[in-house]
Amino acid sequence: MSSRPTFLGAVEIGTSKISVLVGEYTGRELAIIGCGECSSRGVIKGGVVDYKAASECTHSALEQAERDAGERIDHVFLAQTGGHLEGFYNEATVTVKALDNMIDAGDIRTVCDLAKSKELPTGRAVVHHIRRPFRVDGSLVSSMPENIGGQRLEVGYWTVHGQEQRLADNIHVIRGFNLEVRELVLASLAAGHMVTTPEERRHGVLVLDIGAGTTDYVLHRDGAPHTTGVVPVGGTHLTNDLSIGLRLTDGQAEKLKLRFGRASVTTKDKATKVMLDGNFAIGDRQFPQQAIEQITAARTWELLEVVKKKLGNAFSPETCAAGVVLTGGTAKLAGIADVAAKVFGVSAHLGEAPTWVSENLRDPSYHTSLGLLYYGVSSQADKSPPIRRAGGFFTGVKRLFANS
Amino acid sequence: MSKNLHIAPTARSWRDIPQPVKPRAMSREGKWRLMTSVLRAMGATLVMGGVAWGLWEVTRGLQETPRKMPETARAVAIKQLELRTDGVLDNAWLARTLALPKQASLMEVDLQSLRLRLLASGQVHAATVTKNFPDTLKVQVGERSPVARVMANWRGESRALVVARDGVVFEGVGYGAAMLATLPWLDGVKLTRTADQYQPVENMGLVAELLARARLDAEHLYQTWQVVSLARLESDGTIEIRTKPGTTVVFGVNGDFLQQLAKLDYQWEALATAPNPPRKIDLSLGREVSVSFQPLPNFNLVPHSQPKTKL
Repeated sequence: MSSRPTFLGAVEIGTSKISVLVGEYTGRELAIIGCGECSSRGVIKGGVVDYKAASECTHSALEQAERDAGERIDHVFLAQTGGHLEGFYNEATVTVKALDNMIDAGDIRTVCDLAKSKELPTGRAVVHHIRRPFRVDGSLVSSMPENIGGQRLEVGYWTVHGQEQRLADNIHVIRGFNLEVRELVLASLAAGHMVTTPEERRHGVLVLDIGAGTTDYVLHRDGAPHTTGVVPVGGTHLTNDLSIGLRLTDGQAEKLKLRFGRASVTTKDKATKVMLDGNFAIGDRQFPQQAIEQITAARTWELLEVVKKKLGNAFSPETCAAGVVLTGGTAKLAGIADVAAKVFGVSAHLGEAPTWVSENLRDPSYHTSLGLLYYGVSSQADKSPPIRRAGGFFTGVKRLFANS
Repeated sequence: MSKNLHIAPTARSWRDIPQPVKPRAMSREGKWRLMTSVLRAMGATLVMGGVAWGLWEVTRGLQETPRKMPETARAVAIKQLELRTDGVLDNAWLARTLALPKQASLMEVDLQSLRLRLLASGQVHAATVTKNFPDTLKVQVGERSPVARVMANWRGESRALVVARDGVVFEGVGYGAAMLATLPWLDGVKLTRTADQYQPVENMGLVAELLARARLDAEHLYQTWQVVSLARLESDGTIEIRTKPGTTVVFGVNGDFLQQLAKLDYQWEALATAPNPPRKIDLSLGREVSVSFQPLPNFNLVPHSQPKTKL
């Protein structure tokens, strides 16, 4: 294998901003060497609604990231979110074929193929097949069950699928920059991998990635993703509520949300007022702080309740011992962890990036991009053969000149 | 059983979505990126092509050069043989030994074979042959020095050869007769012939050391030495020297040659007035020196018990 490192791009096309990180992957180490960011246009609730505008923003961020890294990106890991994403669970059971009841690779392949062989409606495409741990005669097996004795082998897959056209739109935005999409990763999975530890995932943890347009969640149980989902509600809805409730423009409402928004009402005095701009200029207005907090708290509470309802029986405080981890731009809303703890009945805290991540990338809004690189590289490394550059001999030659 | 299960085909995945995009669907940055990629690929192809063409030209040039070079080199024959030596060999010997064809050019000669020819003479212990274009062959040789003479069969006739310090027996070209006359003859050695040469004489180093010491410190004695015999070297560890007056001097190889020479010098002076030269002086007995004389020709034994009486 060539000793030249691979330059990976992690792209998150979000509702409020598009972020790109460039990682230099040597086969053993991943170093983040570039970052690009651009305000998003043409994207609503994680879906591309204006291809041209979305492309321009994404390409601008990609260009900025490449310039920052000083290298050309080889291929991209793309985060996927949006209300069109859905998931279902399907499991399969096989009887072990061997006379001595020893499970072999054939049994495993058969049961996995069976569990994944659920047909989808027309126009839907699979994004992820997330395997849950195997069970042999009803007992959980954390690793591959090959050469383990048993009569019945069971496995279940959580299959995430989305509208093919919406997925294609996202892919084509990247292809428009003449880049190949190597992996499509669910935003919640990426962020979840970044802000939780393997121990937390083993004990059970719920990760909420609250973005501007959507809230992605993933519930980890027994060390593996158990359930994922997307609620098409995010920080933008809080802004909208403020805008309507207080008769403000979106910009003004956003400003108020960032300065005075809270996930719970703490202001007791209705007479307490806050200034819109705080500079006493002409047009500056006063607003009751309690009203602001009531609006943002109500929407936040509702959002978390929706997530809890969607999780249904999959979530219970007993199976989620590590609690709730909040990430994403809207997770910066004051008091949201306390509210999450009340709603879910478990401890909750804001997710933090690992210590090796540099200071300027520790903001929750970068967790998904960081996780994309981390998750993408991990998933690629798990597969064999390892990551290879697209193209053949001439692509390699081209790269020589690309670096010169 | 699981082998009878029907597995439905896997559902359509995002990987089935075709990724190629037409250039018109690309943004300005994307098109620029595509164009630079294509240009780089073209540049790389051109450079690779250039490198390949260059390699091909060099290879072709190398293949054709040997054919061209002899044509120019053959035109100039070797005109000069330059010999540098630390001994007595001369250009005539060099020409005879190398035996180059008359019109031989530098390109035709094989330096290694010429060097082996020079070394085969025995008189040469080191040789360097250099081509000095256009027409000069330079030869530098290191010669062996003779320390003794030996009679041997050489190319069908019995003749005197010389022996070097390392035991190599060779013809001895270029030495004057006077110089050769000073060398003692070697005796008691068994010469073994291999191909065109004799094998080196064994233990010649000891002999050479004795002769060199005598020549340096006792030249008046050395001048009287005629034959050096190694007949009893292996068995008794002695070297026998037969001198011109007929005395045999025996040196022990285990003792110091300088001390033995000093004793010999003393004895030689002490015995100078003796009526007969001693038959043998043995210096190999350590601190003692054994001197034996030849019996006088008119010497008769008379018993003491019967005194001669006058009649």
